[in-house]
Amino acid sequence: MMWMCVAVFLLWMRSGGCTDKANTSDLIEYTAADFYEKLHSGKMMFIYFEHQVSPTISLFLVELEKSAEALQDYGVLVGTINCNKELVQTYCTDERLLHTAFLFRGGKEFLSFDLDTVFDVNSIVSEVLFAILRDEVKYVHTDADLLAMEKAARGKKDIVLGYVQSLGTQEHRSMMETAYVYGSRYQFILITGGPVLKHLGVNESSHSSGVWFLHCRVHSGFMTPMTPERCPLTRMRKPLSTLSLHAFLQLMEAPLVSEVYDDPSSVQPPQFPYQQTPQVFLFSRPATEHLDLDTATALAWRLRGLALLLLVHRQSPAVRTPDEYNAAYRLPEKSSEVKYLTLHSLDEVLDIFINQEKEEEEEEEEEDEEEDDSHFGNVDDEIAATVFENRGNLLDMDSITQLTSENFHTAVAQSSLTVALFYLKWDAVSMAFLSSFIEVAELLADSEVHDVQMSAVDCGEWTDLCAAQPGSAVPFQPITAFPSVLLLRPRESAQPYRGMLGSEALHRFIMMSRADCPLLLSTQDDVTSFLQDVSHPELTGYKPDRVVGLFKTHTPTGLQVFTAAAKSLRGDVLSGLLTDGPAEKWAAGLAVDLPAVLVFPSWRTHTHPSALPASSSAEELLTHINTARLHPMPELTVENLPSFLWLGKALLILFVGEEEDEIGRRQNQALVEEMRGVVELGGWRMERYLPCWIHLGRTPAGMSVLGSYLGSMPPLPALVLTHLPSGGGVYQYPPNTPIAASSVLLWLQRVEDGAESPAGTLGEDSWPPAADFYDFLNIMDTQEADSTQQQSPKEEEEEEEDEEEVDVKEHLVSNEATHDNLDSNTHSEL
Amino acid sequence: MDPSLPCLLLFTLVGSVVSSFDSRHHNSTRRYGYCVLGAGPAGLQMGYFLSKANRDYIILERNSGPGSFFNKYPRHRKLISINKIHTGRRNREFNLRHDWNSLLSDKPELLFRRVSSEFYPPADAFPLYLSMFVKELGLRVQYGVDIGRIRAAQSAAGRSYILTDQHTSDYTCSVLLVATGLWVPQKVEFVGSDLVEGYESISTDPEDYRDQAVLILGKGNSAFETAQSILGRASRVHMLSSSPVRLAWQTHYVGDLRAVNNELIDTYQLKSLDGLVEARLEKIVIAQRKEQSRRRSGGGKKERKRQLYLTLKKYVHSREEKNGSDVTGEELPGHHIDNFPMRKPYDRVIRCLGFRFNFSVFDSSACPPHSENAKGRLPGVTAWYEGKDTPGLFVLGTAAHSRDYRSSAGGFIHGFRYTARAVHRVLERRYHSNRWPSTQLLTTQLQSWILKRVGEASGPYQMFEVLGDVVLLRGSHCEYLEEFPIQALPQFSSLSGREVSSHGLIVVVMQYGKKKIDYLGRSRAETDWTKAWQSNFLHPVLYYYDTLPTEEEMKLRPPGWPLPRPKAIHHMVEDFLTEWDGPISHIQPLRRFLEHCVHTDLRAFYAESCFRLSLTHRKPPQFCQQGYLKHQGVPHSGRPRQHVHDAGPAPAEQDAGTSGADPAFPNYLAPAGASMSSGLKLDL
Repeated sequence: MMWMCVAVFLLWMRSGGCTDKANTSDLIEYTAADFYEKLHSGKMMFIYFEHQVSPTISLFLVELEKSAEALQDYGVLVGTINCNKELVQTYCTDERLLHTAFLFRGGKEFLSFDLDTVFDVNSIVSEVLFAILRDEVKYVHTDADLLAMEKAARGKKDIVLGYVQSLGTQEHRSMMETAYVYGSRYQFILITGGPVLKHLGVNESSHSSGVWFLHCRVHSGFMTPMTPERCPLTRMRKPLSTLSLHAFLQLMEAPLVSEVYDDPSSVQPPQFPYQQTPQVFLFSRPATEHLDLDTATALAWRLRGLALLLLVHRQSPAVRTPDEYNAAYRLPEKSSEVKYLTLHSLDEVLDIFINQEKEEEEEEEEEDEEEDDSHFGNVDDEIAATVFENRGNLLDMDSITQLTSENFHTAVAQSSLTVALFYLKWDAVSMAFLSSFIEVAELLADSEVHDVQMSAVDCGEWTDLCAAQPGSAVPFQPITAFPSVLLLRPRESAQPYRGMLGSEALHRFIMMSRADCPLLLSTQDDVTSFLQDVSHPELTGYKPDRVVGLFKTHTPTGLQVFTAAAKSLRGDVLSGLLTDGPAEKWAAGLAVDLPAVLVFPSWRTHTHPSALPASSSAEELLTHINTARLHPMPELTVENLPSFLWLGKALLILFVGEEEDEIGRRQNQALVEEMRGVVELGGWRMERYLPCWIHLGRTPAGMSVLGSYLGSMPPLPALVLTHLPSGGGVYQYPPNTPIAASSVLLWLQRVEDGAESPAGTLGEDSWPPAADFYDFLNIMDTQEADSTQQQSPKEEEEEEEDEEEVDVKEHLVSNEATHDNLDSNTHSEL
Repeated sequence: MDPSLPCLLLFTLVGSVVSSFDSRHHNSTRRYGYCVLGAGPAGLQMGYFLSKANRDYIILERNSGPGSFFNKYPRHRKLISINKIHTGRRNREFNLRHDWNSLLSDKPELLFRRVSSEFYPPADAFPLYLSMFVKELGLRVQYGVDIGRIRAAQSAAGRSYILTDQHTSDYTCSVLLVATGLWVPQKVEFVGSDLVEGYESISTDPEDYRDQAVLILGKGNSAFETAQSILGRASRVHMLSSSPVRLAWQTHYVGDLRAVNNELIDTYQLKSLDGLVEARLEKIVIAQRKEQSRRRSGGGKKERKRQLYLTLKKYVHSREEKNGSDVTGEELPGHHIDNFPMRKPYDRVIRCLGFRFNFSVFDSSACPPHSENAKGRLPGVTAWYEGKDTPGLFVLGTAAHSRDYRSSAGGFIHGFRYTARAVHRVLERRYHSNRWPSTQLLTTQLQSWILKRVGEASGPYQMFEVLGDVVLLRGSHCEYLEEFPIQALPQFSSLSGREVSSHGLIVVVMQYGKKKIDYLGRSRAETDWTKAWQSNFLHPVLYYYDTLPTEEEMKLRPPGWPLPRPKAIHHMVEDFLTEWDGPISHIQPLRRFLEHCVHTDLRAFYAESCFRLSLTHRKPPQFCQQGYLKHQGVPHSGRPRQHVHDAGPAPAEQDAGTSGADPAFPNYLAPAGASMSSGLKLDL
């Protein structure tokens, strides 16, 4: 055990001893005499002969000084000899040795190191130790070499195999330091890649160092029966460091399974040196003792390096663990409480420790978001996945009113506007939207909006209300799609919310909905203030589209159509109504006749409204209004794309990148202007296209669109023609040609003529399921084939349950009664 | 059973009303679209649906009030249908899963809890509830009409049923709904059966059984109810029937012995003088003993209590004229087997064998056949409860139980209230061209809707394996029909008026596991969704067919299955809380099954994904088409994008590294059993 104490001491020195010695240097500047004396005494020395000091050399000297302290622990003296003062033959005279340090051993030069390989403390320590241990630490290149080593070690020594990406690193140093301490006990092997990794099951591209313990000394029949000639191996799971490696090796020495006769709670926590190791308890019964030991051993092999396994003999009276538990464990730091479990499979134990380890790793490196929670199974639906991952966070529903079948009517009557979300708890979209909905409620409360009541209906509970049958009439139809949002006003039928299911869009909609609809305008000033955000200052930020109806009150049909359309646009568009005299006067100024509906899209100055053709129905008018609201050359965003796709035109999309500065901004602007030029120049020929642009900075989702069109990211700007009625081809405007209106038109013509070949194609329209379903029928067929098949026609006649039952009983009675059964069934009743 | 005076008065009053009614319609029989026979729970339930649909109907009842059966039965006046008022939920539909006494109506407050708050309510509360039901819904019930004869008549207008009452007045009905229940006591003929008392007439005063040895024939709830009531007074209670006791908590059949009645099992198993015995009733003889009476003097004989012996037919000497009252000592079983369990005599023998349908009022032209099961006690009916060979005559309520005898709840109020609704829907379709009501859903909403139904629906829950929801797939949308009698699936189109498209259909049924297990043992519950098909408790099962199954397929369905072998099946793993809403265990597997059935990706996508998919495809996935493209995208709300795992076929992920099995062989099947079988009891 002596070696262990030494090892611990050394390692402790290494880790803890640094700081207090920082002032006193272990780096000795030797005189020539000293040097020769030490040399001849056979001491190991690592010496640099200083000729002249350059910046590189002085850096090296700093590192050398640091290493002096470390190497002293391994019996290596570190020093310099100033060749300007002392003259040591050849070493001081040969200028070529300026860049070399030397290791002396046994009275002579042992090895020389180029300063490129010993550039810092880690590389110095690792290379020097590597050199000293060159006989003990083997360097292995191929799997065959490893196999030979394993054969040689079998029954004698265990092997510690370290993989470091490159020599001279911290990891290399850790390996070497450990090898120095444990070298006589284990066979150390070092690899830096190559085919050996494949045997170890490591993907070489993973670039992380590792250590494996090859159990060659003890012959065991348990492990990997496929390769009996190989030694079973245990991978060190912690990152390679001197301390972790030490702990790991200690753990490999621990008994595989300890048998105890105490209750887990009274078994001592692991003692030095295993105090950082979890304990796992399994229980054994006398009847199955051997089987239990085998199971425990099998598990212990899998837990090696992770936890210690203890087998508790249940027959011992000290064991008080209830029978319902079949396992227990104790984690090191979290008090020393024992947790009891009922396991269904051994894998669950492994999960506990592997996951615990993962948690620890996550704590260490926060940014490692990729960590999957595979033990929960994967949710392959992106919205469900978000909701699932946030399942721990309870939603704070305080800011919203819970509507029920009972309070519905009173609650709605209380507020001029009630916004009601109908949701189902198990619907991921509902739950994702519910949190946005709450955000809006909180936002409204914070901004002192008190005339809106935000409320929610849990349709899993108030099923009758959601089915519009709470026993009394409600102002809406049964809800069959979730989530649904209705805007409820007292004594009005409900208005469905048809916008994006996000907080921003909903908030905007609610704010806009608060405005009168239509707003009655009576003077020219009213109109001006309506159009200039004065009448609704709180809506300025939203850049709303506006609609103004100009009517004569004695022609009510047009007015009704307009009012109906305005109502259904409520929340989306601001509408105003001007009648009679003032209307006529204003219309005259704009050269339109009454009745008229004027649309003022936000993207156009309000001096140039679009006058709409007369409409006979609200639906028709709605279509006209919505069409007039569309920008002729829009910037496509996630939010507005549906409106433009609805037009069914081919898309001529200009992708521009994010501007870094004013120049970039101007360039992008010029590009967009040029696209406008295409529209103007093309005239009617452009009717079938929708020229538009996507700003990849504001709409990053466009990036993958572009990538998917062309197979790779082209230089920006990029001009693409897609969604052609003729087919799925995607055409790219020649990337190196300047985007000029005339040449774009020519290119479009060539595409139409079929003279251009597509750069990509649109994806398939069919969306088969992304994942296979779990075929229960198939599973049942394999496991209980006969129970899943249709019966054959003749079989059915026999099946009469009652009959059969009675037959059996009859048998029973006759047997008993005729004394036929001589087996003296003493307690049979009849 | 003499009618009391007020009753008599009422009869007279009703009679006079009827006769005055008669005189006004002299020479014309009364005609109705629908006649409902019996104002019990089934008749009134149907009455409600007819009334709500504004149909021309009448409910005929021979007694003076509704639910008169319950004025007498159960004899010991405690209903064992549970009245669970506190469920912690406010979902009316869900709460009906645990309310076994209420009838269905659109009045939320018209529930049984208004008349009783007891978990096992007193029987008197039930007629009270029915009266309230009649009154508040204004149902048309004619009391005091005792129909004595029913015959069918064929005319140009079609088949009709003519009912004749005690005053020989006729009622002509296009459709006859027989909801007469079961009230004729079931009897078995054997030698000495005349010495036996019946459940219908026994004393319910336990004092009358003081220190008596009692033999009860039957092992159902009425037998145990009787045993339980006399347990504290009788010296011995033995129960005899052909089959062993079936415990409701083992068979999941509420008609089997309920735990509320099973005290005698305790006293039997703890050896406290009570016992259960199996023998066929046809083989037994109940007799008095001859010799004893001979030895006694005449006066002594009269005072002596009557002693009844049980013996077996084969020991009794065949005599030409055997009245069954006397046997000799050699004819007793104790003479042959000295430890015969029932060798000691009894003071009383009580028959508690249940009830049978009253076939006697039906003319041969209108008589439904005897059922093949239930010892022929019930009328045989089709899967939509129409009498076999009697078109236009439907059987409702307990009498219709032959469809699900000893398997589901069709013989009980909490079951047949739903079958009555199903029959009404069949009637609406057949006679009024109103198709089976359905809800149109977007296919992307189907999953949520199914989860909603399996989480709350009371019909398929109570009438498990009998009523199921039918989903007609139509591509991007589907039609959802509730509570169709699934045995009638081959006739689906004609019964419902709805067509099955080439996209096929899904049937959602609730099922119990069919395996006999240790119902309180460790492995009784399944929690792993990949083993959902081995669930033992009630759980939803979905059957997917591309076309309707045929009648032949239905007949030859796999043993124990409610439906024929489908194209694909999905079991949702049983849930301790009966809330099937686990994202991993319930929802995702269901979604993948639905995706398989509709051949399309049903996942939800964020607006950003829909944006990308809309621009890179001519058509994005259905969720984007039905949401995002209609301006209802779900923005990602600025939260960091979560890593979504690529879907693999693997179920609940296990440590892939641990199993060295063939990769084509799913992990969960890997022979990890080696370690499992050790003595560590790694199973729950």
